[in-house]
Amino acid sequence: MEDNKRYPELRRRLSPGWWTANRHYTMYMVREWTSLFVALYSLIFIYGLSLWAMGSRADFLSFLKNPAIVGFSLIALVFTMYHAATWFYLLGAIAPVKIGRSRTKPWQALVLNLILLVIISYLAIWLLVLR
Amino acid sequence: MKAETHKVARLHAMLWGIFSLGGMIAAFLLPVLIYMTAIAYPYSLWPFNGARDPSFLVTGHLLGALFIFVTIAGSLYHGIFRFQSALTEVGLLKYRRALEAVGYFIIFVGIIALAYYLVTWYLNGTIT
Repeated sequence: MEDNKRYPELRRRLSPGWWTANRHYTMYMVREWTSLFVALYSLIFIYGLSLWAMGSRADFLSFLKNPAIVGFSLIALVFTMYHAATWFYLLGAIAPVKIGRSRTKPWQALVLNLILLVIISYLAIWLLVLR
Repeated sequence: MKAETHKVARLHAMLWGIFSLGGMIAAFLLPVLIYMTAIAYPYSLWPFNGARDPSFLVTGHLLGALFIFVTIAGSLYHGIFRFQSALTEVGLLKYRRALEAVGYFIIFVGIIALAYYLVTWYLNGTIT
């Protein structure tokens, strides 16, 4: 007998709107949908580079200054920060660090990683633009 | 059968591993890239309130090109992978295979195009 017949997959049927049932499910789905903005920003950036590759550097720079692109990017930044914050919190929940007899809390991982984010961002600007 | 199952499980573990790495990259590196290209440059704020612009970020030196590749490729993989997974949770589970095919196609084309532009600029001396 095949494995999938001996161990049939037990999948609970959910309605398309199951995530509106309570606040936790809704926040989970919002978190998942922030990834759309992460993906779209990446694709838009690649498109900008293609303008440069097939045209000139000025095309790329004027594309970055296009009000629609700036507007979308600002929304993408908000969602990317939300993604970052929830990702850091999740890290703390999944892999707490044991210190003595206690374990670190998710909010501690969030705060620590946000500080790390600021340091990494400054280092990236210093290394890649200012140096 | 068992070897096949192990192969599929290994592939899944690898894909989820890349997904997690992409999540870290999107969380730590993408915000600063968006800040530089969408706020600092259009509004002439630090660090683009001097002579430099975001093109320097891409072609100023090899480290910048590497930063762009890692940030954009990692974020694209993570974003598409997570979004197509989210779509299967809102009633599109029966289209999972098609969603995966479209998702991986976008990731593949995007990363190949990005690598092509950067490698071309490196080889012709645009990236110094």
